[in-house]
Amino acid sequence: MKTSKSVIAALLSTSLFLAGLAGAAEQPATTAETDKTVVAKSKRETSTADHSKYEELQKQFKQGQEVTEACIDCHTEAAKQIHKTKHWTWEYTNPKTGQKLGKKNVINNFCTATKTNMTFCAACHIGYGFEDDSFDFASEKNVDCLACHDTTGTYKKYPGLSGHPAYEPYEWPAKSGKFKPAVDLQKVAQNVGKTSRRTCGACHFFGGGGNAVKHGDLDKSLENPSRYLDIHMDKDGLDFTCSTCHSDGKHDVAGSRYHTQASDNKGPLLRGQKDDRNPATCQACHGDTPHEEDERLNTHARKLACQTCHIPEYARSPQLTKMSWDWSTAGKMGEDGKPMKIKASSGMIAYDTKKGDFTYDRYVIPEYKWFNGEVLYTLFGDKVNPDEVVKINDFRGEPNDPGARIWPFKIFRGKQPIDAEKRSLAVFHTAGDDDTAFWQNFDWDKALTTGMKAMGTEYSGKLSFVSTEMSWPITHMVAPKEDALSCAQCHNKNGRMQGIDGIYMPGTDNTPLLDKLFYIIALLALVGVVIHGAIRLINDRKEAE
Amino acid sequence: MLKLLGGFIAGVLFVAIIAMNMAGGMMIREVPSPFGLEETAARIQANIQKLKHKGWKLSGLREPSKAVAAAGSNVPPVLLVEACSTTYSKPLLKEDASRILSIMMPCTITVYKKQDGKVYIGLMNAGLMGKMFGPKVSEIMAKVQEDQNTFVDFDPSKPPPPLNRKRPGGGAGGGPDTGGC
Repeated sequence: MKTSKSVIAALLSTSLFLAGLAGAAEQPATTAETDKTVVAKSKRETSTADHSKYEELQKQFKQGQEVTEACIDCHTEAAKQIHKTKHWTWEYTNPKTGQKLGKKNVINNFCTATKTNMTFCAACHIGYGFEDDSFDFASEKNVDCLACHDTTGTYKKYPGLSGHPAYEPYEWPAKSGKFKPAVDLQKVAQNVGKTSRRTCGACHFFGGGGNAVKHGDLDKSLENPSRYLDIHMDKDGLDFTCSTCHSDGKHDVAGSRYHTQASDNKGPLLRGQKDDRNPATCQACHGDTPHEEDERLNTHARKLACQTCHIPEYARSPQLTKMSWDWSTAGKMGEDGKPMKIKASSGMIAYDTKKGDFTYDRYVIPEYKWFNGEVLYTLFGDKVNPDEVVKINDFRGEPNDPGARIWPFKIFRGKQPIDAEKRSLAVFHTAGDDDTAFWQNFDWDKALTTGMKAMGTEYSGKLSFVSTEMSWPITHMVAPKEDALSCAQCHNKNGRMQGIDGIYMPGTDNTPLLDKLFYIIALLALVGVVIHGAIRLINDRKEAE
Repeated sequence: MLKLLGGFIAGVLFVAIIAMNMAGGMMIREVPSPFGLEETAARIQANIQKLKHKGWKLSGLREPSKAVAAAGSNVPPVLLVEACSTTYSKPLLKEDASRILSIMMPCTITVYKKQDGKVYIGLMNAGLMGKMFGPKVSEIMAKVQEDQNTFVDFDPSKPPPPLNRKRPGGGAGGGPDTGGC
């Protein structure tokens, strides 16, 4: 009975511990709203300008451009600066590869391409009226100041409005019967302020068409993150906004996935110091030997990106990130002959007639590979092999490349249409009111004919689907240092760096000759001990006799 | 005689060491799941609900890893699927001598991710544990063990069911759904 009681006691203590943990999890974050108000108020109080007192902003604005005209009356250079940024042009020429990238040119394996879907995609353009190639990129009043500088949280740009907010109640999602309220431009204009995690996140948390879909390390939970999720953005700690790292002055934004910097071997960058360096690298604050108490860790930094150890898993919020998208199954109807949606156990959409099959995951272990800073995209017109997995973007690198580091990636896998005759990734018309939009009639031929025509070519009429991979370097959701990768998570037979060339990993790798030598020496030692012991035993017996 | 006693003590020690090393593995077992975290938990819940005729009901779903996150740190996610059957709990709760075994209620099955990125299921070896508490408890727990095995017997041809995150009624206030126990 004593044993039984001790077993019960052990179970009791374990259960109490677990119950305590579970109980703690259920405690509501009652102070979150209060904190938000206080933070907003204190930020307002530190500003030297109260825009609600400006005469120019007392008007009843009818359109966003009217607000911009008022803004650039005082901020005379702002629109000109914006015009030079990727956020405005949606174009970027990679200086190393010469490839023309940016949202205007790249085909991804999510919603694929913007070309014929601009009225929808432009919800994330910092301009007004971007619906086709006729958009006036030289116009200053077309710049949308409020998308980034709204502090009210009421300024929202919905798909289908070509980058405008809703000036009157707007039905969204389409045909849902739910109407979003019209924006109060005067209120928003009078309450402008610095950019915030919310304003940047309005687009970047929703990349790929929904919360947490695209990046894996960026989702809505970062609007108000706790310590565990991101040590830098922790709302109760350092409380970094996106611009704390990504600000490069003159409305430009440092850091880009089109041209990701693989390594930075310089010391910390003094903020405000004139320098061509990218201020968004880890080293720009921490230097390249940040581990003061352990030089061995600093030597690791010569081969590993900081993110490899300090972001051990991505999608660590309760929100699941999308891991795959199979367009080839799109178009299947439900038993009633109507478009259908099927939910996964998690509650996420696993199948949508409009889009095909999806998979999701959370707390995902990244995939690791060498990266030297060179990224090569598969662009429209590039020949693809339909029998192989097409890399939408290839983050390149070899162990001996200068500046190459082992980086963590989210690899998003998909199946998407190609023009089988041209052997090129295909562009199709997805959204819109016309009858060629795939989401209207689920007719691939019509959608591809319109999409390819918009790209300046003809669709051959031969559709096929190809497997694709798109890499997303993981660089947000930096864990507290105590949660960084431990030695054994890599230095292990099943460790994380399996398959990575160019490094010798104690604990993972072995040298067969050395191993054999060790076993031979150990065996000889054992034989020696046995023989020695036997001789001693025999001698002792002889002496006793 | 001394040699005999020495041999006996050595034998006892040997058995004790082996038992200590194996006890953990014998009391609980771990099986890999072919599904994702949420889907595994949802399929277990669905299997539990199939045994309504044996009194089984879902008692709750907890995620203790959330508490660690609330405290500022990270651990891979863990979902605790809780269920109880009055068919088995009633005879145990009725007797003063076995009422203390309520400590093991509700029956918990854990679903978790490990550092290899895979999903695993953890179960108590109810049959073996029951043997420590006499024949009556042993008999009941053997049946629990049998049911537990069906909880983790999945049919991949069936579509994934939704994960039930609702907390059942009952508890101190009582309610129409008593959550099994």
